[in-house]
Amino acid sequence: MQTDTPNQSKASSQRRVFLVVFGFLVILTGLSFWVANSDIMENRILGWSVMISISVCKAMLVVAFFMHLWWEPSWKYALTIPTLFMGCMLVLLLVPDIGMRTDHYPRSRQQLSPEAITVPEVPQFNEPPTHPDPSHGAKT
Amino acid sequence: MEPMVNSQGNSEPDHDGHAVPLVYQRALPMSPGKVAIWLFLSTEIMFFTALIGTYIVLRFGAPEGTWPTPAQVGVVEWLGALNTFVLICSSMTIVFAYEAAKSDRVRAARGWLVATTLLGLVFLGIKGFEYKSKYTHGIYPRFPRSLMHDRADLYFVSNFSSHLKQRISDEENFSARSSEQAATLLENLYLIQSGLVNWTEKKVGMSDDPNMKRMALEAFAHQVHPLSKRPDIEKYLADEETELRQEQQRLLPEQEQLESKLASAQQQMSALADEIAQLESDRKSQVDDDGNFPAAGELERQRKGELESAEQGAKETTQLISEVNQTLNPIQQRLEAHSAFNQLEHGINEHFHLKLPMVIPSGNTWANTYFLITGFHALHVIIGIVVFLLLIPLELNRRRAKVMENVGLYWHFVDIVWIFLFPMIYLF
Repeated sequence: MQTDTPNQSKASSQRRVFLVVFGFLVILTGLSFWVANSDIMENRILGWSVMISISVCKAMLVVAFFMHLWWEPSWKYALTIPTLFMGCMLVLLLVPDIGMRTDHYPRSRQQLSPEAITVPEVPQFNEPPTHPDPSHGAKT
Repeated sequence: MEPMVNSQGNSEPDHDGHAVPLVYQRALPMSPGKVAIWLFLSTEIMFFTALIGTYIVLRFGAPEGTWPTPAQVGVVEWLGALNTFVLICSSMTIVFAYEAAKSDRVRAARGWLVATTLLGLVFLGIKGFEYKSKYTHGIYPRFPRSLMHDRADLYFVSNFSSHLKQRISDEENFSARSSEQAATLLENLYLIQSGLVNWTEKKVGMSDDPNMKRMALEAFAHQVHPLSKRPDIEKYLADEETELRQEQQRLLPEQEQLESKLASAQQQMSALADEIAQLESDRKSQVDDDGNFPAAGELERQRKGELESAEQGAKETTQLISEVNQTLNPIQQRLEAHSAFNQLEHGINEHFHLKLPMVIPSGNTWANTYFLITGFHALHVIIGIVVFLLLIPLELNRRRAKVMENVGLYWHFVDIVWIFLFPMIYLF
């Protein structure tokens, strides 16, 4: 079929694009797996930010190429810009106001939370109590 | 005469005064189906944003150390990564299916669609395996099925105790088969009951120091299901062991001494009893004509008195021994529990496959969000698979390419949701 040749070459070049995108997606998945088990997680906020950024990149690759938005006309902006705005606002509003609120909890509020895993005070066995303060789950 | 058609596809207005035929023009440069699917996807974005937003509030709002890490609730990272890979592959295959349908390669389109369906099923299979392992570890959203407690407190100990009693009675009935393994397990269960549960209850009940109580409860929870390395608890347990060994060293000779005293008293008693019996039979052989014996002699009365006092002494010694044992036995059981359970890396629950209550702070909240979010995602996967199954028998030619595209858009969206869920649930 002579007439199909340009279409076929376009299809094969598009297929190459898809395969490259697929490769990037696999590499990025591996990367976020690596980040989770690396020293970056010593600073957990940094590790989380890196992993979420990787996820955003992956999502953008899928949306742009697998969902063909890259090749779509300008209606794609009507769709993507409000969504991006909502996504950014969600993070900007939730994380500082609600996600990090417990960083500034007073002691009385901490007592209502489930038991903290780290306990700073180590009482000696069978010694008179050195900490008469009966605070529960408190941090120093 | 053929009507002229201009570049927009409209027929030219004719000049004979006829009405211009109305021509349908789309408002958007895309098919209505595609508009609909994108509109649907925007509602889906909002739906999952709400779920993920809730997760963010709960996860990052939990005070430091009160949200379980993936390892603590048995989430296996590489399974999540594998599932991500499976979904990415399925996104790839659905793209190929669409491309094939667009260029009228019907067989190829069907093949890629079948591959996508199979990958979706693999995803669900791995997910099901993970759910199963959650259930077998007692990770449920809430009581009574959930075995997770937020705090190491007395509610936890009593719940643990009642579960353990149930388990022991089950094992006792089961060990009618009396395999060696079952017997060992039962022995360990008894040791858990005496050396861990009863000891902790007693310790907490008798201590006045709140720090002490807390430490005892935390050490117990740590031995059942350790969440992380706890040098403080290790030190506490080591100190306790030293203390108890000293106590044992003090009590063991005492017990031995009392027991030898009891043994000698018993020997003396039996000797006395023999002598008295001898004297009595001697006396009874001297029966007179009326059938009366002579009254008991001085010696016999004296021996009887001695026997009585020896019996009294033995009774007192037995009392003392039981008192010593009452202190010594729990100590010995505790020491035995120390040597049996302190070295277990994953705690007794994991080591003996016990399914007993454990302490995981915010574990139930975690399970709520985990099952809700992954459950809704799995539901979307199931719906996608159903649609694929409906499409597979059809002729997937150019005419159906639009349907294929829309289904593909939906499937890619499901993939994107998982792309965000994977780090949030498996890696954070």
